[in-house]
Amino acid sequence: MSQTQTIQLGTRTTGLWSKLKVTIARRTEGRGVALLSAVLIGVLLTEQTVFTAYSVTLSRIALVGLVALGLTVVILMGELDLSVASTLALAGVVTASIPDLGLGILAGLAVGVVVGLVNAFLVAVIGINSFIATLGMLFFLRGLALVISNEAPIKLNNVEAGIAFGQPLLGPITPRILVFILVFIGLQIFIARIRVGREFLAVGGNRQAARDAGIPVKRRIFTGFIISGVVAAGAGVMNTLERTAADPIAGSTVLLASFAAAIIGGNYLKGGRGSVVGTLIGAASLGIIQVALTLAAVQVPIQQIFIGLLLLVAVTTDPNNLRAVISSIRTLRTGRGKVVEPATSNRSTSS
Amino acid sequence: MSTPVIEARNVVKAFGGAKAVDDVSVAVEAGDIHAVVGENGAGKSTLMRILSGIETLDSGAVLVDGRVIENSAKASLEAGISLVHQELSLIPEMTVAENILLGSFPTTAGVTRKAEMKRIAAETLKEIGVDVDLDERISRLSVALRQFVEIARAVARKPKVLILDEPTASLTPAETDYLLNMLKRLADQGLAIIYISHRIPEVFRICNKVTVLRDGQRVFVSEIAKTKPDQVINEMVGRELQLDLQSRRDANPGEVVLSAKGIKAPGVSDVSLEVRAGEIVGLGGLVGAGRTELVRAIIGADNRTAGRVILNSQGKKRVISGYMSAIRAGVAYVPEERRVDGLAMTMAVFENIYLPNRRELGAAGIMRSGKMLSFALELANKVGLRPPQVKLEAGQYSGGNQQKIVIAKWLGRRPSFVVLDEPTRGVDVGAKAEIHKLVKELADQGTAVLVVSSDLPELLELADVIHVMRDGKITGTLAASEADEKSVMSLAAGEKLVEA
Amino acid sequence: MGDPLTQVNALATSEAPKKEVSTGAKVLAWMADNGIFVLTAVLIAVAVIGVEGFASLQNIADVFHRAAPIGIVAVGMTFVVISGNYLDLSVVAQVATSAVILIAVSNEYGYVPAILAAMVAAAVFGIVNGVAVGYFKANAVIVTLSTTYIGLGLLRFFSGGSIFFGPYESPLASFGAGKLGPVPYSALVLVAMTVLLGLLLSRTNFGFTVRSFGVNERATRLGGTNTGLVIIGAFLVTAFSAMIAGFVLAAFSNTAVSSMSTGYDFRALAAIIVGGTSVFGGKGSVPRTLLGVVFVSVLTNVLVLLNISFGYQQMALGFLIATAVSIDALARRAGKK
Repeated sequence: MSQTQTIQLGTRTTGLWSKLKVTIARRTEGRGVALLSAVLIGVLLTEQTVFTAYSVTLSRIALVGLVALGLTVVILMGELDLSVASTLALAGVVTASIPDLGLGILAGLAVGVVVGLVNAFLVAVIGINSFIATLGMLFFLRGLALVISNEAPIKLNNVEAGIAFGQPLLGPITPRILVFILVFIGLQIFIARIRVGREFLAVGGNRQAARDAGIPVKRRIFTGFIISGVVAAGAGVMNTLERTAADPIAGSTVLLASFAAAIIGGNYLKGGRGSVVGTLIGAASLGIIQVALTLAAVQVPIQQIFIGLLLLVAVTTDPNNLRAVISSIRTLRTGRGKVVEPATSNRSTSS
Repeated sequence: MSTPVIEARNVVKAFGGAKAVDDVSVAVEAGDIHAVVGENGAGKSTLMRILSGIETLDSGAVLVDGRVIENSAKASLEAGISLVHQELSLIPEMTVAENILLGSFPTTAGVTRKAEMKRIAAETLKEIGVDVDLDERISRLSVALRQFVEIARAVARKPKVLILDEPTASLTPAETDYLLNMLKRLADQGLAIIYISHRIPEVFRICNKVTVLRDGQRVFVSEIAKTKPDQVINEMVGRELQLDLQSRRDANPGEVVLSAKGIKAPGVSDVSLEVRAGEIVGLGGLVGAGRTELVRAIIGADNRTAGRVILNSQGKKRVISGYMSAIRAGVAYVPEERRVDGLAMTMAVFENIYLPNRRELGAAGIMRSGKMLSFALELANKVGLRPPQVKLEAGQYSGGNQQKIVIAKWLGRRPSFVVLDEPTRGVDVGAKAEIHKLVKELADQGTAVLVVSSDLPELLELADVIHVMRDGKITGTLAASEADEKSVMSLAAGEKLVEA
Repeated sequence: MGDPLTQVNALATSEAPKKEVSTGAKVLAWMADNGIFVLTAVLIAVAVIGVEGFASLQNIADVFHRAAPIGIVAVGMTFVVISGNYLDLSVVAQVATSAVILIAVSNEYGYVPAILAAMVAAAVFGIVNGVAVGYFKANAVIVTLSTTYIGLGLLRFFSGGSIFFGPYESPLASFGAGKLGPVPYSALVLVAMTVLLGLLLSRTNFGFTVRSFGVNERATRLGGTNTGLVIIGAFLVTAFSAMIAGFVLAAFSNTAVSSMSTGYDFRALAAIIVGGTSVFGGKGSVPRTLLGVVFVSVLTNVLVLLNISFGYQQMALGFLIATAVSIDALARRAGKK
């Protein structure tokens, strides 16, 4: 017990193999990687066109994944944003309603900012649970989109720009895919390297500790919801451009797919655990599944069932939850207990 | 005498009507490791929270380097006071380096300077003599390592004063050893350390001064060199004992009702005990000894990894495997935290009483309000609920009454075995006496009773047999006739270091 | 500290209820609890006086007629909300499924097999939701979101999205059009369900545990309750209510299609929350939900009569939900201080 000796109490890894093992063990994307691998193998064997038609596949992943990326940021903080589907629709409608395209796009993105502000206000200032607050916003914004659009799709003024938006820029990469990649890189850096983004993990992981350490939790909540709102709005704007029209009831399946992508990717609903990369992997899995099913001429309803099942299984089998679940089931054994023979016995076996 | 680095001067803090800290003064100099000891509820934690600014004081002052500082968390931090929490203030999915520098990452234009962050973290860890992979996530670290990371975070702020509250509670002897050496090193470098602990051997090993608190007051302060463990323990418990010896029961225990063998669970390592009909068994020990964990493992409220529990009631012996089966067989559990586990605060008293009795009181699952009310009223009167307005919300009652409601709801089941965990915590003196009376009556009627208590006089008054726990084991068993506060406290705090 | 025994009497008088609540908190709490009564009365008064076409018998009957299916769903879903599990989004799928099964199966095999089939479907919904939320402790919003899509997907697959017609002048159609005096049968069903479920919630042990779970889950569990079963029960009640609602809805038009129940999730939730049941769980009742249904239906009717578009109606409901929950949240915070 000398004064200068430092006991190695920690995990010190040497050698490439153990370093690799530890790095993997620390990551949260395990389930997502497992699913993606299974999907890739399955598709390789059955529907190889998914790979040859890679532009379609990439487009699909970008579609599914964009909103999911913004959502991930909010989930990491320990909150939910259910309003993304309506934000998407509303932003698209606003963009199409403004004759000048440039202004329209700005206005659409501004919608995302405003929605984020309102959501954050309800959650951080008034103290409403984010499920209900964003659920209410989901309904409210849906209505607003219908009102502004007079319940009918709005045609985009600048149709040429819209069509141009759908054209590939470099190889298979369309503007949409480019935006997706940029947003992914941006958010990944934000969460991994930028201090404010990193602190999101603290806000979700142990909010009281974050407060005690001096992190301005309320401010972080505002930032998170604004990011999610803007990303969803961006997705809506892009939808409008590509289709040259805005549909006020767009985005109904976006909610399902985005949550599925984030949760499959290892993001824990209660917050503090997960990654942007995980969502990317989850989105990739979902996108490939969707394209494969479509190419295999599987009907839309079946695809919906499939994705719904995926989300259900993903959310019930979260490893963090499972431990609590197993112990809660074990302690609830009913009945009055086995009757032991009345003759006193000296049993010392453990149960 | 040099100016103390940190000083509490005549600090007073009251909650409701009761003084948690009653005119306490403590002074710590640079390089001191000053122990603050006392029983549960003596006021140590409250005092520490006041020093670190997260609790307000009613009167008195906190001084750093002779200057009075504002009573706020920010002021305390800036003055260099660093409180080490018990690993509850770490972010599980962030790395060691990030946790050490939480809230103060070095950044350039918002981007974290990772290399520098790791450098500072590494330096801090080196200073305290711990070697941990900086990129490891907290969730993958052992409890001991998490504790050290906590300490690293506190040290990284380059504090003048370090306050540790029971830092060795969940550490193995080897890890404890390590920690104590670490603290000694830090003190030698000029840090002032306040060390709160129950563990007298540790206190005598590294501390140079000791202050004893009892019932919120400072009753003893001395240099370690000038005192002995015996004396400190005496001061911790020594009070004019109001033991009403006449109220001691003449227990006539019957046959064994509860038999627990080889119980192993998180925080409990291989405990066996028995409770007989008409007997009150007490579980003594200090915070972290594993008493609550033990009783919850016995009744199945928490999982146990090993052990067998047999309940002998209604003429049959049954193996108890899970909580529901325990309740059905005649077990009752009055939990430690009544607000969280014991009562639905916004529901009426009669509804709370109804909950565990609903199957018996209902007619094929239908509630009969007349019966519910009369049943509740009868029990409310039995336990002395005042006023016995069973339609009032449970949360409207005082702590003592709330505890009575919890007891009442279980009484209705005529249980054969009752567990009470800290039955009079946060309860005023009058209700406390009434609850003691209730517990004794319960035993007189033949119920087997197991009481967990940190209140030594209570334990001594109620129990016929006392098991004292420490570090998840029973360190000793005392019969009522041979037990006194000192013997219990010695077994609880330990005169020797627990052998590895 | 003195002799405990002699202080008993002195302290006896200090055992009285001890909470002191600020007036602000009291006002908020009053609003949260009673606001709906005032609002409904005001709304009806305004509607009778100010809105043309409202006060006719025909219109009132129509309001109840339309309110019935949503109302039935709402009273059932109250169980889920009171248990603290926010809501059941899959009612949308459940109602449509029930309606389609009723008409499609009865056309081929008669009413009894149809009703049995619908009951099986409802049971499956209830059990899947209940197990996921009650035993796997997954978030109810996400779980029911996924079961909505699974349910709707299954429905659309099997029905092909087509509209099913019941035979002209079938017993179902006459039920849908029938009245007892001025009161439509559908409204009677709504009232019957309210009474039945109201009794279930307030007078049975099951209902008691649902409410107790919503107030304090841990204490309920420690009081000897199999909480997983309680949650399954709550979702089953919702599922069967949705089933009945689907029957009523099918009876209206004598048709069924998979899209006919759109918007049922949030309209039911709006009715429940506006009626005063707290979305945080533990507080509320079935009769209150009925009141909320009345309010929401009258409001919708007024908006329609005033030619205000569907979009505004949705906005109004979303705003109502947000406001009602905000008042509840603020009242709780103020009360805790």
